[in-house]
Formats: sequence, structure tokens, C-alpha cells
Amino acid sequence: MPRHALSWLLTAQLLVILPFVAYLPAWLVLLWLGCAAWRVQVYRMRVPLPPSWLKGLLLLAVLLGLALSSSGFDLNAAAALLVAAFILKVLEMHRRRDALVVVFLGFFVLVTGFLFDSGLLATLYSLVPFVALLAALIGLQESELARRPVRTLRLAGTLLLQALPLLLVLFVLFPRLGPLWSLPQVKQQGVSGLSDRMAPGDIVELSQSSALAFRVGFDGAAPPRTELYWRALTLERFDGREWSQDAAPAWPSAPQWQAQGEPLRYSVVMEPSNRTWLYGLDVAQTELPRVRQGADFRLEHWRPVDQPLLYPVTSWPAAVRELTAPAATLQRALQLPDAGNPQARLWARQLRADHDQPQALVQAMLSHFREQPYVYSLRPPPVGVHIIDDFLFASRKGFCLHYAGAMTFVLRAAGIPARLVVGYQGGEYNPSGNYLTVRQFDAHAWVEYWLPELGWQRVDPTFAVAPERIEQGLEQAVDEEQSFLADAPLNLLRYRDISWLNGLRLGWERINYGWQRWVLGYQADQQWRVLKEWFGILDGRALAGALLLLLGAPLLLLTVWLIAPWRRRADPLSRQYARFEALLARHGLRRAIGEGPRDFAERAAQALAAQREPILTFARLHEQARYADQSQSGHGLRAALTRLRRCLR
Amino acid sequence: MRRLPAARHVRLAPRQVFILPTRAGWALAAAVGPMLLVAVNYQNSPAYALTFLLVSLALVSLLHAWRTLLGVELRAGPAESTFAGQAACFQIFLGADSARSAIALGWPGMERVLVDIPETGEARVELLLPALRRGWLVAPRLRVESRFPLGLWVAWSGVDLQQQALVYPQPTSGSPMRSRAGGGDGDGQPAGEGVDDFRGLRQHQPADGARRLDWKAFSRGQGLRVKEFAAWAGGDWLLDLDSLPGPLEERLSRLCQAVLELCSEGRPFELRVAGKRLGPAIGAAHREACLRALALHGLGEAS
Amino acid sequence: MRTKLERCLAAVNEVVLGKEAQVRLAMACLLARGHLLIEDLPGMGKTTLSHTLARVLGLGFQRIQFTADLLPGDILGTSVFDPRSGRFTFHPGPIFAELVLADEINRATPKSQSALLEAMEEGQVTHEGTTHALPSPFFVIATQNPSNQGGTFALPESQLDRFLMRLSLGYPALAAERDLLLGTTRRALLAHIQPLLEPGELAEAQQAVSAVHASTAVVDYVLRLATVTRQSDAFGSGLSPRATLALLAAARAWAWLAGREYLIPEDVQAVLPAVAGHRLGHDSNSGDAQVRRLLDEVPVL
Repeated sequence: MPRHALSWLLTAQLLVILPFVAYLPAWLVLLWLGCAAWRVQVYRMRVPLPPSWLKGLLLLAVLLGLALSSSGFDLNAAAALLVAAFILKVLEMHRRRDALVVVFLGFFVLVTGFLFDSGLLATLYSLVPFVALLAALIGLQESELARRPVRTLRLAGTLLLQALPLLLVLFVLFPRLGPLWSLPQVKQQGVSGLSDRMAPGDIVELSQSSALAFRVGFDGAAPPRTELYWRALTLERFDGREWSQDAAPAWPSAPQWQAQGEPLRYSVVMEPSNRTWLYGLDVAQTELPRVRQGADFRLEHWRPVDQPLLYPVTSWPAAVRELTAPAATLQRALQLPDAGNPQARLWARQLRADHDQPQALVQAMLSHFREQPYVYSLRPPPVGVHIIDDFLFASRKGFCLHYAGAMTFVLRAAGIPARLVVGYQGGEYNPSGNYLTVRQFDAHAWVEYWLPELGWQRVDPTFAVAPERIEQGLEQAVDEEQSFLADAPLNLLRYRDISWLNGLRLGWERINYGWQRWVLGYQADQQWRVLKEWFGILDGRALAGALLLLLGAPLLLLTVWLIAPWRRRADPLSRQYARFEALLARHGLRRAIGEGPRDFAERAAQALAAQREPILTFARLHEQARYADQSQSGHGLRAALTRLRRCLR
Repeated sequence: MRRLPAARHVRLAPRQVFILPTRAGWALAAAVGPMLLVAVNYQNSPAYALTFLLVSLALVSLLHAWRTLLGVELRAGPAESTFAGQAACFQIFLGADSARSAIALGWPGMERVLVDIPETGEARVELLLPALRRGWLVAPRLRVESRFPLGLWVAWSGVDLQQQALVYPQPTSGSPMRSRAGGGDGDGQPAGEGVDDFRGLRQHQPADGARRLDWKAFSRGQGLRVKEFAAWAGGDWLLDLDSLPGPLEERLSRLCQAVLELCSEGRPFELRVAGKRLGPAIGAAHREACLRALALHGLGEAS
Repeated sequence: MRTKLERCLAAVNEVVLGKEAQVRLAMACLLARGHLLIEDLPGMGKTTLSHTLARVLGLGFQRIQFTADLLPGDILGTSVFDPRSGRFTFHPGPIFAELVLADEINRATPKSQSALLEAMEEGQVTHEGTTHALPSPFFVIATQNPSNQGGTFALPESQLDRFLMRLSLGYPALAAERDLLLGTTRRALLAHIQPLLEPGELAEAQQAVSAVHASTAVVDYVLRLATVTRQSDAFGSGLSPRATLALLAAARAWAWLAGREYLIPEDVQAVLPAVAGHRLGHDSNSGDAQVRRLLDEVPVL
């Protein structure tokens, strides 16, 4: 195995392994260091290749290490095993074939890496180890070129560039299938998000996270911010401490509703949440297959979303929801713990007595929140056993979950069916891309109550307390408190008022959104939509045809460019002479390699006595052009050749 | 399958270059399968992209491999004569209108020689072919191939450059087997008067010229003496195929050895093969002619 | 000018019968300002050729017979004590002539050989610290017996390189030999030859020869020839840059004699055996074989 190939291989290995440090045991890098150093020493003939018992022992040790550092056989463990095999293979690499195995393993490990991070940066980075692996392949060729690193790299880069058009065609046109079978998923560490059990503390935690939740691109103009209530799920059960999803969500009964008003069309690119629910504005419908509308109007994906997911949504903000609600639903919306929070229950009874109409009751509650000294705060004081009472009548300090929870409790206590909705509110609008970025700190909770003639109605007590939270966002709502992203002083989102920095951030986010939307989201449905709209391809046969056609075109272009007939034999003199030779060859006269043109012409003139004169004329002109550097003689060559051709006919 | 006609000079045209996947190419194809499965099952676009990139690269490298051989000019160079049992060395010159990398040349079933063609000028390759029997050794069809740049494809072509080398009989040393012309046991006898070697002195006779008088002896008072010289009878060695015993090939081998020995000693000799008489003479041309006659004895001049 | 030289050639050919090609090559050698080595058996007319050339071209002629006991001083000249002036004066040797015939050069010791060859190379003789320029033009025709004859010192390769060409006259053709036998003796003919060139005209012709145009196509051919000899093991020693220069110069002279102002590959091929033969092989046979091979194998275009 050539030295340059070995150095390329080891470099490529390091580059391939490097991103895995974030997900896999870090000692794999040490393993690589050891193996690489050993292999280099082998190359320098300082040590022999390890004997098979040592290799076996090493393998066992690595397996043991992996078993200890992983929990169960999941994708992370599989990837770690793959990377370990990739590293260990170096120790038994002494023939070209072994090197090929390492290179191909490298490609496979690169692909595996995308399961952990398929972001734009990670994908772009993967080109670096890819080129190094290509260089290793070139280095395995025994050529002078392969001994020069710069030229090898340049060749690898050239090949890559030439392959790009083909890649593009394949990527766009190759039919995407759904998953063939279910596979272990990557454990997304530290994925925070809404959950089906929410205590106030969870929202505080979310409000400190600037992680991306999802992005929304609107087909038309985006609705005003105050209308952007992204429903995730409803929490109907209150046990006195926390709100949770009802144990048995009513699957079979899709809710009744009537579409009214103008629909809103947009598409959502969702980050993996490891949950089944999707996000949408009420009332949301999606064309994405295997998504159901839950009884509480949420969108439910058939399996947890562990890959970025793109889905188009049509929303009917003015829809009427469940004019006649099933009894079970109403019953769940009236559930209360048997005891606790006596003051709140008392207030509910008073409100009920004061107000006939449920709407007036709701308005009274909102004005209570507005007029009494309630404060919106991410740092509420600790509460006692009766958390609703303590909040409503003692601390009066809290955030959305406090207000929404308290309001739901009081409404239920007053006999009005109500439920807590959690999701996100607002989002950051990126005007250059007409899309909205929703982050974890945009998590929000609000209230829905049911009226016989009107169906479900949304009400947001937080809006009454801190309208800036709804109108502007969390940062403004907690401006005085200075608690926005207090744990992350370096977060760019904290510096949104520095305009150039914010511009950069928005630009970068826009690129990422495009990546999510057009590349990561380019799966089955998106693909058919694009094919239909852009290429007018409707069926598989047309797709196959387009694939072949569009693959052939770049290949043909490349062929022409590689052969480059216009670059070859630029010398017209040689071309004319080659024609002259070909002409005479047809009459059995071939110039020997060592035969001068004049000798050949004389021989030809003797053999073809009838054409003596044109042959000698051509030879004379050629001789003068080539050897006497009389370029004007070259112009007559074509005419002389034509004359000779005519004479020979 | 089209094959190239035999010629001393060949320029590889598009249709003469064939392409097949190498084992590495098949291995890549096998590796692409699992990658695609990962991409499909995890609905992962970058994984799709990387898989497609590999496929695209394979296609691009196919063109590059084809291009590496395309337009390569092969020219038969001189072939050295050799002795049976040794290897004949054939020279081949390779040229192209641009630089080409890692072109392998070789006879079927034998080791290939790798060579790069420089941007300008020619590359020279020497290929060895074992010479088993005397006579013309005709080089088989030459296989030209290239796996450049990625080793996934092999572009190849078969070329007949009509090369041949003359193989002399294998020299075998052994029994004394050369004889002086005029018979004898190989030592020869001085015969008659000549001018070659001083033989002795004899009494002067009136017919003797003055040139050979031994003046020194005369001055010492020893009387007139004449220096006598002898010429070797016939003078030169004679190598005669027909006069040797044994099977033909063995006789040829022994004659071959004798020719080599006599040439290295610088002695004139004559070779008689099948009614042909070469010499007596010395020198490289004579040696060449003799060896050629021995090589082609009974085989005809042409190959 | 060229017609004059054509007449010269004709005149030489009247004396040296049936050797037109060799005479023309010899003339080309002279025009290319090179020295000539003739390798042949005694009695083939080497002396006659050189003598005739000298007479026809109006050059001063000297002949040095090389023998085993020839000393460098016998060639270059010696200092002789002059009793009148009381000083040593330099008496130029036979080398101080425009055309020198060095006969049977390989009979002399290497020391004497190299004295001649050094003088040829440098165009001057340095004797006891004084430099004496050789006449111009200065042209040496050396003859050599085939080296397989006894009692000879073969010229080493480095010295062979100093001769632009090596020719071999060979036996005359039958018709030519009949004329030789029937006609007057060569010596008598020689006496009648009148110089056909004025002094200075030869230098003029040499000037014209060096102006012959060599296109890149021809130079490339010369380089291809040289490259093959350098790369292949079949050729003992490759052609040196001096040899390629000589090849081009000789080809120029040949082209000029043929009435052309530019070189064609055939010119190179015509002079290649004479110019390259002695540089490639030790004896004339192997050299010729290799030259033939070069001519056959190296592409002209």
C-alpha cells in the first residue's frame, strides 16, 4: 500500500470520526490515535502488524467498553460499533483490498453521521472527509499524480464538482419511498419541548431554551401575531398539582366542526420532538398521510417525530367547533379534584351568582386579572398546597400556565366546560423569507371553554395580564425582570437590538430554513408536489424517463468536455497531412514511421504515376509550410488535397 | 468483440476502449445498497445525497477511466534479441496529446507494468516475455488498461503491435565441439610457411630474400640464417552443424556457445549451417549473422 | 556559389570514381566546419579523396602518416634552437595547414592521437606557453584502419565524438574500378586539378550553410532521435548534445548542397549514418545497425 494512500486514509478517518465525538464515547478518538500510530509504525517497519490474538483481544476490549458506556442496543450503540470497526480495520490493513474496505466503511460511517446531525453545517462538513476518502482512493492508484497531495486533492475536487449535476438530478428525481421498516432511532439528548404533563416549572425550563421548535412558511401574508396560537395538545386532567393529558384520549371520535371564513395555508417544518403531536393554528388540516385529527383538534402523527418533518397545513381560524359536544368530552372538561383550593371554588360560585351569561363571567375574570395587581413573571414565588389559591389570592405573580390553569380551574368550578391548551404563541417573523421561527421559549398555555351555541372558544388570560407577551414576545414581557434567557449570556437572541448582528442571525436562519424546507423536507409528498409543479411529472413512467434523460445530459456534456475535440490536433497542418495520408492509405500506400514526407511523396508519385503532379504539389506545399515556415503555403493545402482527391476518384 | 488489427503503431479510438467494473467497483455497488436503505428508512435527505454522490462519482469516474485510454498512442519499439531460456525484452512507447496517469501494460496472464504518460513526450515501457524456444518470438496481444482515477472501473483494450524478437538457441557448454577448418582435434597444426608465428631458423638458401635474414646472428658470426615463420593451416575455427553428433537442438545450442566463446576470445571462425557458410570473420556483425542463422535454422526467415 | 561547389563536387568525382554519396557527405562535413573520419582498409582511395578535395577547394594540404613512434611534436611542431638569435624558435608542424590528412590515426599512440584531437577541438596549438592559431578554414580528414587489424590503438569514444562524420568508402563498384584501371593514374590526374574556389569563398559557403532554416518540426525530429538513443538500453551511449548539434549542422550543409534554404527530415536522415554511426556503436557494423533502427523506429512527424 502506497505511503500517500495511507496518510490520506488516516486523515480521512480522523475527519470522519471527529463529528461523532458529540454523540459517541470520546475514547473512540483515543482508540483511533492508538491504531493510527501503530499503523504508521508498521509502515515505518518499527513494529509488525498485530497478531490475530491481539486483534481479537482488542476487539473484545472495545466491545466491552462499548457495552459499558451504552444503555441497551440502540442506534447510538450501533453507530459506536460501526465507528469502532472502522477504526480497528486500520490495524489489519496491509493490502489494497483492506484499504478499499476502510474507504467504503468510511462512506458508510459518513451516512450514519447524518442520522445524528443532518443540519446544513454538518452536511457541508461531511464533504471534507468525503474528499479525503476520494483522495485515498486516488492515492491507491500507482501514478505519479497520486504521489502529489495537491494534485490529488485537485483531482478529487474536480471529480466531485463534475458529479454534482448528476447528484442534483438523482436527488430531485429519484423516487422517495416511505420507511421500509422501523429502525431504532437516535436518542436526541436534551430535546426539550412540551409534554403531556405540565407543571409550572416545566414552562420555566422551556422559557430558558432558545432551541428551535418549528418554522412556518406562509403561502400568503402572515396573520397578526396575536392570532398565532399554535396548538399542540390539550391538558384536561388536573390533580391539584399539575395538568396532564387525559389517560384515554378519545381516538375514534374525530370532532365535528364547520369550516367558515377564509382558510390559511402554510407549511410547517418541525424539528424532531420525539412526540406524536404536530403544531397548527385552529382548526388545522394536513394532507400529510397518517396524521389524524384528535378529539381535541390536535394533529396526531402516527409515530413520534424523530426526523425533521415537513407538512402542509390548511387552517380555518373562523371555524365553529363542536356545537354539540359528546357528553364524554364535556365531562372531561368539567373534571376537578375532589378537594383543594377552597378560595378559588368560592370565587367561582360568586362569579356564577353574579353573572348569568358564561361570556360575562369570562369577561369578569379577565378584567379581574387586568385590574388587580397581577404580575407576569418567570420567577414566581414558591406556592403551598393550594397552588391555585396561593397564586390567585396571595402571590399574584406567575406566567401563562399559572393564569391559564387558574382560569380553567375557576371556569370548571363555575360549571363551564373548559380545558387547558398548550402549544406555542407567536414566533419570530423573518421578513426576508416570509416565514416564522418558533422557539421553545415561545411555549404558551391558554384556555378553551365550551358554550352550547358557540362551541369551543379560546381565551387567553395572559393577554389580560401582560399583553406585550402576546403582542411582542417573551423578551418584552419580562423586560423589567431581565430574566429572558438569563442562563445563556451568549445567545444571539439576546442581542436582537444590535441590528447588524440580528441581520446576520436572520440571514443564517433563513438559510437553515431553506435547508429544512427544501432539502431535509424533500421526502415523498414534497417530492411529488415539486415534480408536479415544476416538471409536470405525474406518474412513475414520466419520472423514469425524466431521470434517464436528465442523467444522460450531464454525462454527455462531461464526455464531450473530456474528449474536447476542439483541443486536440489544433495544428491544421497536421490535420491536412493526416487526411493526405488517409487518402493514400486507401490506395495501399502507407507511410512508414521513419519515412520522411518527401520520400513518401516520391514513392507515392511513382506508384500512382497518373496522380504524380497533385501528389507532388501537395507534398511541396506541405513541406514549405511545415519546414520552411512559409505559412501561406498552408492555405493552399486544402485546395491541393481536394484536387488530389478528385484525381484519385 | 472488435479487436484492433495488428499494427506497429496504434492510436486507441473510442470504440476500441472497453469498460468493465473492477472488484472495487462491484464492492462500491454493494456498499451503496445499505447506504440507500439507511436513507430510505430514516427518510434522511443528506444520506440520500451522499449515496447519490457516490453513484454520480462512479459514473463520472467511468468517463475518466475511458478518457485515460482514449487517444493513447502505442508504438512498438525495438525488441532485443535474446537466448532461449532467458526473457526477451520488448519496448513500447506510449504517447498522448495530454498527460495520462496509471496506464497498465502487460501480456495476458503476466504482471502488468504501470506507467504515466507525461504531458509532452513519450513514456517508455519494457516488457519481458520468457523466450522458451529459439526462432522468432512473437509477442502476444498486449493488454492496455487503466483504473484511474478511482479504481472503480477498468478501461482496457487489446493491441497487437506485431512485435517479435529473435531468440537464439540456448548456449550449452560442455564437450569440446569446435574444430579447426581442415579437421583436427581443435589445436591445429602449423602447416607450411606463413607469416604468422616465428618457428625457428634455418640455413640460408640463395632463393631466400634479404628481409628474413637474421642479421643479428650474422653479426655475431653465426653465418647466414633465415627466420622461418609458420602460418596456421586454414587459420580459422570451423563450426559445422552437420559434423556434430547428437540431436539438432543440442547441436545448435553447442554451436551457439562456441560462437559466443570464439567471439569473446576475438578469434575468427567460420560457421556452416545447412549449406550456408558464414565467414570466416570476426566482429559483432559476424556474431549476429551466425547467431541468427542458428536461431532460424529450419524455421524459415520470416516469422 | 552553390554552382561553384557543384562543380567542385564534379571535379572530385572525376578523380574519386563511383563514390558520389561519400564525396558529397565529405563536402557537407567540410561545409559544416566539421572534421571527417574515414574508416577503411588501406588502398580504398582515402588519400586521393582528401588530396583532391584540398586541390579543388584551393586549400593548403598536409599529410601526416601516423605511426607507433610518432610524437606529438611531429604533429604540432617543435622549438628549434636558433644559434643566430640565441633563442628557441617555434617550427610549426604539419598540422598548420588548411586541410590535414591524418593517415591511419589509430596506428599512433593515444598520446599523439590526443595531441591532434586537442588541436582540432581548440583550433590552436599551445606550445611552451605560446598560442599559435591554426589556419582558417581548418579541416582534418583522419583515416583509420578497422580496429580488428593488429597493432592499432582504437580511438576512445570521447575522441570519436570530435569528428563530425565517419565515412567508409568501401570497395569501388565494378564499373568504377574498370575505369580506374583503364584510366590514367590518379596521381597524374591530381596534378592537373586546378583550384575552383577563390580564397574566402569556402568561408562564404560555410556562412550560407549556417543560415539554412531549421523549423521546429525538424528540430523536434532530431530531439526524438536523440531521446530514443538516450532512453533505450539498446544504444550503448546516447547521442550527446554535441552530437545533436553536429547532426543539425551536417543536415544544414546537406540541405544547402541540395539547393534548399530550409531543412527537411530527409536531410537529417541522409547524414544520420555518417554523423551518428560512430557515436552509437564501437565498430561500424553495430553503429550502422543502430542507425538503421533509429531511422525505422523514430517517427518523422
